[in-house]
Amino acid sequence: MQPSPILRVLNYRHLRLTTKDVNKGFYKGNRTGAMGRHTRFGGYQIEWNRVRTYVVPERLRDPEFKLTPFVGKTIHPERGRYETKAGPKDPALYLETWKMQNGKY
Amino acid sequence: MTNPTTFTSSVRCVVHTARSQRTLLASRPSIFPLPTTQSAASFSTSSPHQKRKTRDNNRLRGVSPLRRTGPREPLSVSYDPLPKPADYKPKITVDKDHGLWGFFPEQGKLMNTPEEDGEYGRAWTANELRQKSWEDLHALWWACCRERNRLATANAERSRAKMGFGEYETNARDDVVKRTMKAIKHVLTERYYLWEDAYELAKQDPEINLSGKGEAYTPLYEQQEEDFLVKEDGDVTAAKEASTSQKAAADNLVDPSTIPASKPSEQAQKL
Repeated sequence: MQPSPILRVLNYRHLRLTTKDVNKGFYKGNRTGAMGRHTRFGGYQIEWNRVRTYVVPERLRDPEFKLTPFVGKTIHPERGRYETKAGPKDPALYLETWKMQNGKY
Repeated sequence: MTNPTTFTSSVRCVVHTARSQRTLLASRPSIFPLPTTQSAASFSTSSPHQKRKTRDNNRLRGVSPLRRTGPREPLSVSYDPLPKPADYKPKITVDKDHGLWGFFPEQGKLMNTPEEDGEYGRAWTANELRQKSWEDLHALWWACCRERNRLATANAERSRAKMGFGEYETNARDDVVKRTMKAIKHVLTERYYLWEDAYELAKQDPEINLSGKGEAYTPLYEQQEEDFLVKEDGDVTAAKEASTSQKAAADNLVDPSTIPASKPSEQAQKL
């Protein structure tokens, strides 16, 4: 859904599109996504394969877990060195690495 | 209906006043002769019940806190001692290991000072995260979520209690955490696309068996050996054991969380 052309120019484009700016039947939502579907009779059927499941890694409780969102500022970030132009996106390099790590060379 | 007791008391009262008037009259010095019943009453135009007003309508007239007069009317006080509140404080048992403590920097500490929050490094770069395994990235993502939860809690509490400074440091720290999370997503997306491309490439690779039966990877020289050399069964199994032990050694060689960024990519990627 896009606002009408007059709302896309001048000062109106700085305004947020709300449900008051459009005709009825417009559902803006809250960006959470649906977890089921509406039934014919006004109910709601939850589809469990769409319900979010959050898997928390067990390592997070481990006192030995040392990873933080930050890296020390004294550690200078380095650019990766790759042979081919594709760099880290080279599938041949991926296969080669996989073969190496399978222990057969 | 008149109560008999009140009736008798009012009768007594009337009789009493009549007697007292008579005695008063009798005790007066008899300068003037007693008026006879035929004499006229003294003339007066004022009504007999009119009284002179000595007070105004101010109910609090004369009440002064400066002179400590106290109130005009008696207060209802009693000599009973005042009850005292009981010395009772409910004991709340708190789980020391509860997960909600993760919303705070330490147990019993509401939030960090701006100086403490301002101490942080830089964000992870995508190149550094390329060396990390899936487990590492998964755990790092959740560590970032934890950090952001803690920062959001501090911000909410700061605005609620109007504590003042510290929002700038918290938000700047939050931006760095978000940059790390962005790099994690970048690396995982890139890895998935790379896997798709490598899968297509593996279809043409004679060394790789994608059927799902048997060894996924057989090097060319092994295939040639199998073709041209006739080996004993024991030797073949020994060679297989050796290869599996080599593989296990390669897996245990480096902990993925300790791989520095400068090393070539040796992440545990499996097809």
